[in-house]
Amino acid sequence: MTSTVVGAPPAVLAENVVKEYGSGEAAVRALHGVSVGFARGAFTAIMGPSGSGKSTLMHCLAGLDTVNQGAIRIGDVEITRLSDKQLTLLRRDRVGFIFQAFNLLPTLTAEQNILLPLELSGRTPDRRWFDQVVDTIGLRPRLTHRPSELSGGQQQRVACARALVSRPEVIFADEPTGNLDSRSGAEVLSFLRSSVREMGQTIVMVTHDPVAASYADRVVFLRDGRITSELHRPTPDSVLDALKRLES
Amino acid sequence: MLKTTLAGLRAHLLRLMLTALAITLGVGFVAGTFVLTDTMKAGFDRQFTASAEKVSVAVLAKDDKIPESTLRAVRAVSGVQDAQGQLRGDAPLLGKDGRAYGETPTLGMSMATGALSRYTIEKGRAPAGPGEAVLEKTIAGHTGYRVGDAIRVLDKKGTAHAFTVTGLVDVGVDQEIGFRGAVGFTRPVAAQMTGEHGYMEIDVKGAPGVSDDRLRAAVAAAAGPSFTTVTSHGLAKKLAASSGLDVDSIAMFFLAFAVVALFVAALVIYNTFNILIAQRTREMALLRCVGATRGQVFRSVLIESAVVGLLASALGAIVGIGLGYGAALIFNSGSGMPGGSLTVSPTPFLVGIPVGLAVTVLSALMPARAATRVPPVAALRAQTEGRVKGRAGVLRVIAGALLGAAGIGVAVLALTSKPGQTPFLMVMVAGALLFLGVIALSPLIVRALSGIVGWPPARIFGVPGRLALANSRRNPKRAAVTTVALTVGVTLMTMFSVALTSVRSTADSSLRDQFPVDYQLSTQTGDDDRPIAGDAVARLRAKPEFSAVIEIRTASATVGGHKEDVGSMTQRFLGRDLKPKVTAGSLTDLRPGAVVLHQRRAGGLGARVGGTVSVRTRQGTANLRVAAIVSGESILPDVLLDETDFTRSFGPKDPEQVYLIAKPGISTLSSRAAVDDALKAYPAVRVQSAADIKDQLSKALDQVFLLVAGLLALAIVISLIGIANTLTLSVVERTRESALLRALGLTRRGLRRMLSLEALIISLIGALIGVVLGTALGWVAISAALDSAVLGLPIGRIVLFVVLAAVAGVAAAIMPGRRAARTSIVESLAAE
Ligand SMILES: Nc1ncnc2c1ncn2[C@@H]1O[C@H](COP(=O)(O)OP(=O)(O)OP(=O)(O)O)[C@@H](O)[C@H]1O
Ligand SMILES: [Mg+2]
Repeated sequence: MTSTVVGAPPAVLAENVVKEYGSGEAAVRALHGVSVGFARGAFTAIMGPSGSGKSTLMHCLAGLDTVNQGAIRIGDVEITRLSDKQLTLLRRDRVGFIFQAFNLLPTLTAEQNILLPLELSGRTPDRRWFDQVVDTIGLRPRLTHRPSELSGGQQQRVACARALVSRPEVIFADEPTGNLDSRSGAEVLSFLRSSVREMGQTIVMVTHDPVAASYADRVVFLRDGRITSELHRPTPDSVLDALKRLES
Repeated sequence: MLKTTLAGLRAHLLRLMLTALAITLGVGFVAGTFVLTDTMKAGFDRQFTASAEKVSVAVLAKDDKIPESTLRAVRAVSGVQDAQGQLRGDAPLLGKDGRAYGETPTLGMSMATGALSRYTIEKGRAPAGPGEAVLEKTIAGHTGYRVGDAIRVLDKKGTAHAFTVTGLVDVGVDQEIGFRGAVGFTRPVAAQMTGEHGYMEIDVKGAPGVSDDRLRAAVAAAAGPSFTTVTSHGLAKKLAASSGLDVDSIAMFFLAFAVVALFVAALVIYNTFNILIAQRTREMALLRCVGATRGQVFRSVLIESAVVGLLASALGAIVGIGLGYGAALIFNSGSGMPGGSLTVSPTPFLVGIPVGLAVTVLSALMPARAATRVPPVAALRAQTEGRVKGRAGVLRVIAGALLGAAGIGVAVLALTSKPGQTPFLMVMVAGALLFLGVIALSPLIVRALSGIVGWPPARIFGVPGRLALANSRRNPKRAAVTTVALTVGVTLMTMFSVALTSVRSTADSSLRDQFPVDYQLSTQTGDDDRPIAGDAVARLRAKPEFSAVIEIRTASATVGGHKEDVGSMTQRFLGRDLKPKVTAGSLTDLRPGAVVLHQRRAGGLGARVGGTVSVRTRQGTANLRVAAIVSGESILPDVLLDETDFTRSFGPKDPEQVYLIAKPGISTLSSRAAVDDALKAYPAVRVQSAADIKDQLSKALDQVFLLVAGLLALAIVISLIGIANTLTLSVVERTRESALLRALGLTRRGLRRMLSLEALIISLIGALIGVVLGTALGWVAISAALDSAVLGLPIGRIVLFVVLAAVAGVAAAIMPGRRAARTSIVESLAAE
């Protein structure tokens, strides 16, 4: 099943992606020919049962891992053909990441962590944009602190700011609120949503949580390495329903 | 619990590999020393036995030489097939320059013939009569004479005789010959040349079937009690004892460096176990959760270290066999010592393995204690990554400050006391104290220095540079121990080269300032009864090339109740051409009835300027007024009498030493030609130019430095292994972090560069601390040991140390860097 977006070309596009771990007898096929597109300026959630291949798909989309078959484009770049070095530079310049945990370098302050992608690519940070991002996530008083002095929610918000500050074409988030309580989770999610609404950011987020998914514009469901269905303008209830259908 | 420990050990085996290597090398050094000395000892024993076996019984001179009559008596003993006496005496060999060769006159000796010839003729044949001689092979090498060459040798009266070299002889290890070199003649020629008539030794060959013991008894009876009579077995022992070879002190010297290497290895081990335990906090806590007691956790860490220590030490003992044999080969080729097959006693194993085991377990003791302090709840905490640690404890600062202050105190004490051996030893103690202080304070020092040393890379290399700087500071204790391990080697290396350079500049300066002489003429040592002939001095005086010809005469007298050498010099040059450092009084006051004392004598005599010193000679006792006290390295006699007083007391004497100063503008070439011309008829006079002396000293110091540097190299290699080890373990620890950086767009190369720069920062800090500490210690040591020391700074060498340390540090980061760059991002992200 292919989800097509009318109008502008998608920010990220996967076509027939097959991913296998291991080889021969012990091979595990984690993705069975996945084709999916993610629209520019949209907030998409990927859901599915544990082991369905969500993280695998995200890693492949982001150029962190290689695929066995199929093609993936980020913007106009076909990333499955790139060398490791080119992939690294692509990630540096065009992709942002938010992981579930361990997002920050313990030796750097919050501010240094936020600016890290820009420094890696040698770009000078846009100060106004930086200020805007920092103020939106409300971390100004914490900028000089190191990760060990921040709460889990604060750490995730710093990670969000880092992903946003370089204005990447797409941000991939793997269960960004998985370790947070519902209040800090809600803060992070509304922040992500507003960055999509107000700044036109493209975000792809993997999550288990129907409430988290309801912040997205669209939910894509994955099962056993295949896309099974999708949902537009989700609410927590409609997501739960869809999940129940998926499991049965 | 043992099962868990062993399972853990297997899991961490790879991480422990480098640690094991550090122990292996340290133990290898210790074991290698024993193998070397065992092999040397065995080689010597074989040689002495082989040499002695040619003899059945030997009669050895004690106080008096053995007269011809005794030889005849021994020959008459029944059962004696042959008996020959060995003559030894001075027979200065002239070098190709026509001057007596070497510092001491060459030994002339008679060569035994037939079955009794103990020495091996390596090339050519033994001398058969007048006009023929053999040369001991080392001196032949030094002088450049070969078989068939014509040589000249001085006889007792100083007349030169010509000989043809018929062969080269290997005398084996013989301290006297090794030091002086030897020319071998037939017995009558030897007697004629040396003027000796008594024998040093009579070698006896028994008739077939006569036992050595019976023969010994018979020969002893004939020789009488004034000589020692031994069998060949006893002779071998005697030869070994008198060879002057102190294999044990060679062993001590090497072992001192082995201890340094082991100390460095201990630091590496300590660090490794600390890191491993920090990384396994979760695991330890989990063990505690499921009911392991503190004691069990403690023991499990110690057992782990014991297994590693045992395996690595056993391997080290084996490595040591190779090292020791290699060293033995080098020694043999270098110094004409006996070759010989590898000899391995149980000592390398009996000492090496327990030492390695003990060092490992003791180094793991503190980390093991730290492991017991892991609370069970730590298992529940998510964050296990290395945190940015707080600052050094107050206790540490106090201890460091106290040790440092004590070290400085002892050093100051050493500097303020009279230069000599005791203050020198005090400086060594001060050095040890200071070093311990630096170890205690090292987290602070490393933190402070990393900011400075890390600044350029952080500026130049952008993000990798800045991350490297941050990483080098994230765990100051760990970085400090890693650094200090390198500091040990660099400190010692710097200390030695600073000290040696200072010795050289001190010598240079005293040569230049106090003795602006161009040539020193002397007799060969031990040849005092043949001073420089007055005629030779007269000839030199006649040469227009020299502005000063200074004669030094010495004689024995009783000064202030002690027997002491007193002397005089050609007085008009005193203070004009020879300017010793005057600490009190005036040199112009040296007139009849006065004396100039060196400081080192004045102290003991309690003499002061204006006071008197009693000097007793054969002419009676005189109370001489002290005109001046001088200090510094001096060629003046310590007790310098007025020239006329000296002549009145001891009569006219030829000088023992003559110093020559060339007129300004005279080239070295023409002054040398003048010296050679004046002394043509006096080949026994030894001529040394100031340049020669400097050259010899330089060469000697360079050799010492090379030896020391070679021995310290192993300690430095071990500390580099420590750097590689710490980095490898850090890479493991920072797997997630590296993956994150890679995800965010740091290239593989960037990641590798980050680690290289971290290693660079660590090794530069280690080298810098070492250079500063070593320079200070070297200077203080030399100031404490030498009178009026002039400090030198071998800038080139020091820069070289720092650069080498930096390069080696970067090299140490290669493997860990590849490892970090190779790991897959996705897997590392999933890793805990
Ligand atoms: N490195 C790997 N080697 C082998 N199989 C793997 C590897 N990583 C993932 N898999 C397998 O691929 C499949 C998809 O894994 P993936 O991590 O993408 O699931 P997921 O949807 O993210 O699950 P979760 O919700 O638990 O995070 C699973 O069956 C998993 O066992
Ligand atoms: Mg997952």
